[in-house]
Amino acid sequence: MTATLEDAPAAEQPAGEIPTFDVTLRVRRYSPENGEESTWDEFTVTAHGTDRVLDALHMIKWEKDGSLTFRRSCAHGVCGSDAMRINGRNRLACKTLLKDVNPDKPITVEPIKGLPVLKDLVVDMEPFFASYREIMPFLITHGNEPSRERIQSAEQRERFDDTTKCILCAACTSSCPVFWTDGQYFGPAAIVNAHRFIFDSRDDGATQRLEILNDKEGVWRCRTTFNCTEACPRGIEVTKAIAEVKQAMITRAF
Amino acid sequence: MAATVPDLAAPRDPYARRKTTRSNYELYGWIFMRASGALLIVLIFAHLWVNLVSGEGVNAIDFGFVGGKWANPVWQVWDLVMLWLAMIHGTNGVRTIINDYAERDRTRLVLKLFLYLAFTVVVVLGTLVIFTFDPCPTDAAADLLPSFCSSLPG
Amino acid sequence: MQTHQYDVVIVGAGGAGMRAALEASGEVRTAVISKLYPTRSHTGAAQGGMCAALANVEEDNWEWHTFDTVKGGDYLVDQDAAEIMAKEAIDAVLDLERMGLPFNRTPEGRIDQRRFGGHTRNHGEAAVRRSCYAADRTGHMILQTLYQNCVKQDVEFFNEFYVLDLITTHDLSQGDVPDDEDVHATGVVAYDLQTGEIHVFQAKSIIFATGGAGKIFKTTSNAHTLTGDGMALALRRGFPLEDMEFFQFHPTGLAGLGILLSEAARGEGAILRNSEGERFMERYAPTIKDLAPRDIVARSMANEVREGRGCGPNKDYVLLDLTHLEPAHIDAKLPDITEFARTYLGIEPYTEPVPVYPTAHYAMGGIPTNVDAEVLRDSHHVVKGLYAAGEVACVSVHGSNRLGTNSLLDINVFGKRAGRTAAAYARTASFTELPEDAAARTVAQLDEMRDRPDGDRVADVRRALQETMDANAQVFRTGESLGQALTDIRELQARFRTVSVQDKGRMFNTDLLEALELGFLLDIAEVTVVAAINRKESRGGHYREDFPKRDDTNYMLHTMTYRRPPSAPDAVDGTVEEYFDHVEEFDGYKVVLGSKSVTQTRYEPMERKY
Repeated sequence: MTATLEDAPAAEQPAGEIPTFDVTLRVRRYSPENGEESTWDEFTVTAHGTDRVLDALHMIKWEKDGSLTFRRSCAHGVCGSDAMRINGRNRLACKTLLKDVNPDKPITVEPIKGLPVLKDLVVDMEPFFASYREIMPFLITHGNEPSRERIQSAEQRERFDDTTKCILCAACTSSCPVFWTDGQYFGPAAIVNAHRFIFDSRDDGATQRLEILNDKEGVWRCRTTFNCTEACPRGIEVTKAIAEVKQAMITRAF
Repeated sequence: MAATVPDLAAPRDPYARRKTTRSNYELYGWIFMRASGALLIVLIFAHLWVNLVSGEGVNAIDFGFVGGKWANPVWQVWDLVMLWLAMIHGTNGVRTIINDYAERDRTRLVLKLFLYLAFTVVVVLGTLVIFTFDPCPTDAAADLLPSFCSSLPG
Repeated sequence: MQTHQYDVVIVGAGGAGMRAALEASGEVRTAVISKLYPTRSHTGAAQGGMCAALANVEEDNWEWHTFDTVKGGDYLVDQDAAEIMAKEAIDAVLDLERMGLPFNRTPEGRIDQRRFGGHTRNHGEAAVRRSCYAADRTGHMILQTLYQNCVKQDVEFFNEFYVLDLITTHDLSQGDVPDDEDVHATGVVAYDLQTGEIHVFQAKSIIFATGGAGKIFKTTSNAHTLTGDGMALALRRGFPLEDMEFFQFHPTGLAGLGILLSEAARGEGAILRNSEGERFMERYAPTIKDLAPRDIVARSMANEVREGRGCGPNKDYVLLDLTHLEPAHIDAKLPDITEFARTYLGIEPYTEPVPVYPTAHYAMGGIPTNVDAEVLRDSHHVVKGLYAAGEVACVSVHGSNRLGTNSLLDINVFGKRAGRTAAAYARTASFTELPEDAAARTVAQLDEMRDRPDGDRVADVRRALQETMDANAQVFRTGESLGQALTDIRELQARFRTVSVQDKGRMFNTDLLEALELGFLLDIAEVTVVAAINRKESRGGHYREDFPKRDDTNYMLHTMTYRRPPSAPDAVDGTVEEYFDHVEEFDGYKVVLGSKSVTQTRYEPMERKY
């Protein structure tokens, strides 16, 4: 009586649509223990209408090749573990339905670009988090702590709502051509998280954060290519947030 | 199950973020690009209008026309500003492209040296020409010169 | 192998772990070991809110909150603990706000509050607005805010380290220890996923904050990583697990997928309907209807489906109707969950109702602790230097059914308490010597698992476990179905001893870790089913069709499950209440049940009506 995955497609697909289909995944493999070269492996699995790329990767790992390695946790787009390059675009594997990425042709799956690959689809996230930590991603306040909550109007709260949605999946930063070059650019994710505090009416640390992002590798390296906005699985308007930070810096300088 | 294509670039080496450098240079650079861009639109279109459209249009252009314009200090300043702004704007643009796309430090250095060299040559020559332009150089062949040169005294 | 020494070691970097870290790291040398990057923890998936009687929008007080918690838990709640939680809830919310959490605001700029299942005014009169929230991503904001403050405080993290063993001075799974002898927790053994290296952490205080075990079920809102590691490690060292038969099934999981749609949807006015379009909750809970506690709503939904009023071609789900709400209101208050419906089912919630069905959500049971988060080794004695907080622990503030939002409260209130007591103990205690071969057992286990010849696949055994649990130990249970589940689990335990992994490498061997996690899942499923077999009554999240009434005379007690050697006596902890004498033999050990009394202060058990 439990609604199972097998029943779901039949229930949700319009009549006439085939509930299962075969799909081929071309996965970029790299094993640090077996040589330095990365390779492409192809796997074909049978998927259902509501299956996501993550389900297909699980089918491969659980039924075909247990050594396929990738990160995942919540499997519904809130933990940010499984950002990867699917058909050349950064997405979360758990939020990308197979039927939406043209399953007729092999789907390519690669690790996100610009961060060192550790194994298969797993990259070293440390440089990414290092940038995040540098922008002081925490509320900075002066003066005495209030005994109750700080007062903030609904409008003031709305001002930075968009950038509070960030799940630190690195899809934006690793889609940025400027970051790909040498990884020194702070990257969209760090700027988004700075934005979240710079525009928080309760925060007193905006000056320090703007100073940090005024760096040679800071916001001015943004070329507004909009890759980040397109890549964000949470729908954050990343490029706009970066522009707002630039604007704040100019306002402060003059 | 595994079709293997071996010729892929090896995954990149580990790295750490470098020490940060803080200054307002990039800020002013960014503002300069926007401001000079806006100004250049005015300068260039006015320049194109005067040279190509007004009066007899493009047919009027010769050494004499250029000499005539530069006899007026307004046009000297106009063209000088246009030259400098365009060169700084363009050079800075190419510089950021090099920064974005040249992956190795050495490549960057070499490309930027070329860029700065080209900048210097064009700006110095251009500036000299604006202030020293002579439509009738004394030792030039007569048929290359505008007609009014012959009527001028020696 | 590397050895580390810290005053306090915290296992798990979700809400409870990081809340504890914020308390402890300022006081003593603290390390947080987590099998995920902290921001990946499943606290981030919590949606609806965190209740506290702030009374920002209407009259409220913490005593009502205590009552709701006790009643929601079907009176199996320890009332002293519930009182502490409800009282400290107010500070917990204000703490978070001061740390920077962006709560939604009232027009006056204060923290806004909304209705939530089971939270009422004046002991059940009507639904009350008590839940403090940030859209439908309150858990995300809590997790981010706590991590941000950990960055601020420079907390030391060991990310992607799997804790695989708990080191203690006595192994109770090898036999009982006299009451007057202290049992100390002295360290943990961890496996660095990236390098495959073993790390031994010696500590004065160890806090377990490893979260739940939802993956014992197939349809679950839980993350793939929620495999009951902490509970299983404690169990394997002979420490008891409390009230494991009580598992919460969240009413509104996306049908077929189990992805959570917050109760906040109903808090904002959404309505559950059956195939006849009837608002069926009016029949089951006339007063608060769709906002009844989760066990009641989940059972009502399952009952509608069972009686043929389910929707869809297979009549196997009901509908959550938001179509009468303003799209702008939905966007402002419920943006994420409506996106889930669009992404995963292709349903537009503005205009179409969303198919939902109960999904395994939360373990009310866990490692027993007192109100200071100290772990109990039986119903009275604490383990020195061992603490637990969050879903892994059972204080017990949730009793037999947790109220919505009380989990986010639990992690903050008891996470903070765990951090404080652990740090205070570490300041007075000294390190206990670790055995020479502290990591030997873990290393042997890993090597043996890696080197096994080809056998069963981990995924096949896990799937079989999840299927039997879904079929036999879900919303409706009977003695027969539970017996079937136990038979299946015994067989799967045997198969588990032959499972093999394909990845033989050292670095990032997630194949190997999934095998170890399967072992944890089997152990947790086993005690869950054994405890459920023994409880021949229906209470909260545990519903026995063969015993549909609550039986306060015989079962107003917490279940304690112990793992003991086959030779041990069939009773732990002195006197055994009559109905808690169940023993199940397994290959190489047995599970012995015991009981623990329920603390009652203000509230006499009453019939639970909404």
